[in-house]
Amino acid sequence: MLVGRGSEGAFETVYDRLARPVYSLIRKVVRDPAQSEEVTQEVLLEVWRTATRFDPAKGSAATWVMTIAHRRAVDRVRATTAGAAREEKAARWENATTQRDAARDEVAEAVEARMEGERVRRCLDGLTQVQRESITLAYYGGYSYPQVATLLGVTLAAIKTRIRDGLIRLRDCLGVA
Amino acid sequence: MARDPHSLAGVYALDAISDPAESGRFEKHLSRCQECTREVSGLREVATAMAFGVEEFEPPTSMRDSVLAAVSRTRQVPPSVTAPRRRVAWLITWTPRLVAVAAAVVAIVLGIQLSGTQDRLGRAQAQDHAIAAVLAAPDARVVAGPVAGGGSTTAVVSASRHSLVITSTGLPVLPGGKVYELWLIGPSVIRSAGLVPAAGGPVLASGLAPGDRLGMTVERAGGVSQPTTKPIVLIPLF
Repeated sequence: MLVGRGSEGAFETVYDRLARPVYSLIRKVVRDPAQSEEVTQEVLLEVWRTATRFDPAKGSAATWVMTIAHRRAVDRVRATTAGAAREEKAARWENATTQRDAARDEVAEAVEARMEGERVRRCLDGLTQVQRESITLAYYGGYSYPQVATLLGVTLAAIKTRIRDGLIRLRDCLGVA
Repeated sequence: MARDPHSLAGVYALDAISDPAESGRFEKHLSRCQECTREVSGLREVATAMAFGVEEFEPPTSMRDSVLAAVSRTRQVPPSVTAPRRRVAWLITWTPRLVAVAAAVVAIVLGIQLSGTQDRLGRAQAQDHAIAAVLAAPDARVVAGPVAGGGSTTAVVSASRHSLVITSTGLPVLPGGKVYELWLIGPSVIRSAGLVPAAGGPVLASGLAPGDRLGMTVERAGGVSQPTTKPIVLIPLF
């Protein structure tokens, strides 16, 4: 007996599993609830549209979906006035003597803000401070790496290296393939 | 800019390259560098773990209807024909489009269930490979059936791998001390195919033999070696 009740019916199941984690990630990055809802809808529709091209050999389905979600969230942040405000904020911070403190507050918020993944938190804690700050600003904050470099007052080359090294350490800590 | 494309793997995996020309150059490099491609996909798995680590927000209830309505109006893209040996493309040539779509959707459901909980991540990764192998088998087929009492069970079956991956949704919560147990019911023998995890998630069952049917019963906690109650699911697998 093949699934003859219609793939749209199957998508309801997908929705019920995906909507919450996708929306939560997008809220984390985009912040604004109304915009987050819009982006979430775009993402879920894209998942539906392109499910035929999902290839489990290339990585897990969760990663496929969350990659789409994160990219769309970041696109939204960079495209909207919220993005412009962030640029401005980054530029302001560049000149502020308290830039490191400001960035650190935001990082602390990002890391400590009631994250449920105990293991992720533990592994993030195992990174050097600058690795952790760079990764959380880039991933949860949606900042580009030149912006992260500005916020943390380090060179572009250093940010690239720290993010890569930090992610590799996280990968080992999490035991991800 | 310094030309060490490898160093961009991390920022690329986090979508932290905002200059399209720069990410375009890196993607071009990726297409020629298998090692980098592997590294980026590994780092994306890390990002996914971080994605599941954020504070949870309940999406607005109205969103469900609007997404499902949009889905019913939206045509899916055809599977990639440049990769004819891939599972989905292969299924397309062999069965109605619906089956391929269902397989992809099931794969997504399974993947999400596998990776949804951080604490199970390590173990799930190992099982993920075995499950991915079943899903990617050229003879993978999707079967499904309702559960008496509520819910449904879906399985991806590969006869060549003698395995199937079983997932269930909407099962009524059982009283304490009871579990849902899965069975491979053959013409002459019945073998346990494992217990349905209380938290949901897929079950990988091996030892599939010709003529087997998939069954499910309610049993005492811990499971039993032979079913003691009437099956609430019975799905032919061949």
